[in-house]
Amino acid sequence: MIGQILGHCRILAKIGEGGMGTVYRAYDEVLHRDVAVKVVNKDARLDPSSSQRLLHEARASSSLAHPNICTIHDVGENEGEFYIVMELVEGKSLAAMAEVGGLAPESVLRYGVQIASALARAHDRGIVHRDLKAANILITNEGLIKVLDFGLAKQAGSGIFEGPTRSFATMEDTSSVSGTLPYMAPEILSGNADDHRSDLWALGVVLYEAASGRLPFEGRTGFEISSAILREIPNPLGPPVPPGLWAVIQRCLAKEPIQRYQRAGEVQAALEAVQSAAIVSPDPAAESSPPRTTILHSVRHAQVRKGDFLLLVGTTKGAFILRSNAQRTRWDVGGPYFHGHNVYSMAFDSRRGRHRIWASTQSYWGTLLRSSDDFGKSWTNPQQAPIRFPPDTGVSLKNIWQITLGRPDEPNVLYCGVEPAALFETRDAGETWSLVRGLFDHPHRPRWMPGNGGLALHTIVLDPANSQRMYVAIASGVVYRPEEGRSTWTAQIGGLRVMFMPDKYPEFGQCVHKIALHPDRPERLFLQNHWGLYRSDNRGEKWTDIANGVPSDFGFSVIMHPRNPDCVYIIPVESDEFRCACDGRLRVYRTRNGGASWEPLVRGLPQKGAYETVLRDAMTADSFDPVGIYFGTRSGQLFGSRDEGRTWQKILDGFPSVLCVRNAVVGDASDPLTPASPKATPKHHTKARTKSRTRRSSR
Amino acid sequence: MPIIFHIPAALREFTAGRSRVEVENPATTLADALSALWAVYPGVRDRIATEQGEVREHINIFIGQENTRYTGGLATPVAAGSEISIVPAVSGGCEELCDARPVAHV
Repeated sequence: MIGQILGHCRILAKIGEGGMGTVYRAYDEVLHRDVAVKVVNKDARLDPSSSQRLLHEARASSSLAHPNICTIHDVGENEGEFYIVMELVEGKSLAAMAEVGGLAPESVLRYGVQIASALARAHDRGIVHRDLKAANILITNEGLIKVLDFGLAKQAGSGIFEGPTRSFATMEDTSSVSGTLPYMAPEILSGNADDHRSDLWALGVVLYEAASGRLPFEGRTGFEISSAILREIPNPLGPPVPPGLWAVIQRCLAKEPIQRYQRAGEVQAALEAVQSAAIVSPDPAAESSPPRTTILHSVRHAQVRKGDFLLLVGTTKGAFILRSNAQRTRWDVGGPYFHGHNVYSMAFDSRRGRHRIWASTQSYWGTLLRSSDDFGKSWTNPQQAPIRFPPDTGVSLKNIWQITLGRPDEPNVLYCGVEPAALFETRDAGETWSLVRGLFDHPHRPRWMPGNGGLALHTIVLDPANSQRMYVAIASGVVYRPEEGRSTWTAQIGGLRVMFMPDKYPEFGQCVHKIALHPDRPERLFLQNHWGLYRSDNRGEKWTDIANGVPSDFGFSVIMHPRNPDCVYIIPVESDEFRCACDGRLRVYRTRNGGASWEPLVRGLPQKGAYETVLRDAMTADSFDPVGIYFGTRSGQLFGSRDEGRTWQKILDGFPSVLCVRNAVVGDASDPLTPASPKATPKHHTKARTKSRTRRSSR
Repeated sequence: MPIIFHIPAALREFTAGRSRVEVENPATTLADALSALWAVYPGVRDRIATEQGEVREHINIFIGQENTRYTGGLATPVAAGSEISIVPAVSGGCEELCDARPVAHV
């Protein structure tokens, strides 16, 4: 079947199998979209009239436009096999989610409201589901319910069972209906007429199962299950299931259809009433401390092991974690995390044996600093934003542009550079943060001007040789260096030219885009300005123009080679007005002599019509030998080189706009608490073993 | 009568999954009503308001059908039984709304 064309869909992979048929992932080659194709089993033994009814029913179902109903796009027949083309839903079934012991009542209510809403729409159109079950209900990565297979069961079912005898056929032959019998209403088992209220019974079973993790009517055989459905009362559900929810379930599971809710809309309203009940006097134990951690169901996760190599990619629509090994040829992509949020900064903290990923998220709901200790499977989601300006400042946080780890001997220190321009610091591994006042109170601050991306402190560089020394860069402030225990900060401006200001050498206002420092030569800084490429050999006091032979001295990103303090990588862009690769040729430039000369590195990079932009934090260098260099573009492409930039490969495309790229080796060999597997050990310059990690994290 | 909040999906993580929250509170202004909401569900606060107590730039709060940006911001009177909707701005259509500043602080 794989590779075959059905209608205009090419079958790509099998993704599931059920009593009725097999489901494939497919690609609609006319409408260019991913779809799911369900091929009805030939052994469903549809007679001609049943076949026609199946087609008719599927077409009727395709008219059900509802956010909680999986859309049917098309139906067709191929050599006697029926197939149904439907919306491809990425998510987990409710059955899979409930089997671990039941969901939180809030989730049951939330999902129940959506399922009831879907049933209400279908019933209004005269369509009865007839095979509603937890396995037919998917929950998307965004938490949206999608009910599958509306109206399809009836016709397929009438091919399998014959009228009143079908219940007995079911008891004897559970294999063909496994998973379905437990959801069948008493009237179906009794051979009586069924209608939309049989769906409401099934909804009761689904809600019971979701709330408790078990079925209301169980048995070792089909006969025992059927007997329980016909005669027994399910075990009551107590706390944490609220009494209101249990009452709704009970009414759905009334043996006589007339005693149930008569319409799905009534169930929906009853569940919504439970949702908002008890809110006036919430139970403090249950309500006062919602989980601090968000568990992300159904987002794809990279399976990370010790020794793996990671790329952390922040984009305008969320974060991704790419996993590989020391070979760095095959990539497993985890994410997207934080759907739709800007992720301007990420960092990996391996100090003290941690493997903590940090990410900043920004959306119209605000800006948060979040972390994950399990490679993205769960993230902190604090109720109160941990980084916030004190009330007396009158200033509100807009974005976090940079997360920088403290020095190796300060394993609980981190810094964040934020917008509006300010520096925050934590000394307890992120539990509490404080504003660095010395910089915030700088007399220049009221006259800093926002750059194109905002007034941001976007770069924090630590001097590994001097625990009192660090550098921060502000767009558009300049580079500041603290003096006297960080109570005063001085602008490091000597020789920095400002093309765009009336005064070409002002006291401040240079729009610095990035600075970089090599731990082996901490007195030396490289700087990409808004026009101008510079080096300072005396801690920023005097800057020298090093734009020797580059096509443009405008650009954003600057990174250091981890072991060669004379080797720097940049990606020039054409101009202030046209911030794209010069001449449509995507070129990385490298100097190996501290900026005396630069060479283009282009093999494997597009050299025609490539109007790409690489932002200031979207390039990173790993610590292997030879060094790997990686960068992401605003067009969502990710390129990598495993030979220090000599040749490049496209790692992936189709990402949202890339804002930042960082790299990490899990269980870094330089950390005695987390020895790495030998095959993936990054090579460290012995002298700079711990220093290189500082550099990597501090850019 | 309680005040009814309609909670958007993105914030239900902080309201125990509830899309509709009723608070019994003698609120007289929107600021009071919001304070009552986040007394029960504190996680909602930082999503709606900045640390300086201003409603976030791209968040609109409606009382009934009225966008409170045009009716006095956080000082807008709230009557018993009011229904308050928290609505993120629709992308591309928010410039006019964003320019209006709230007039009171929570």
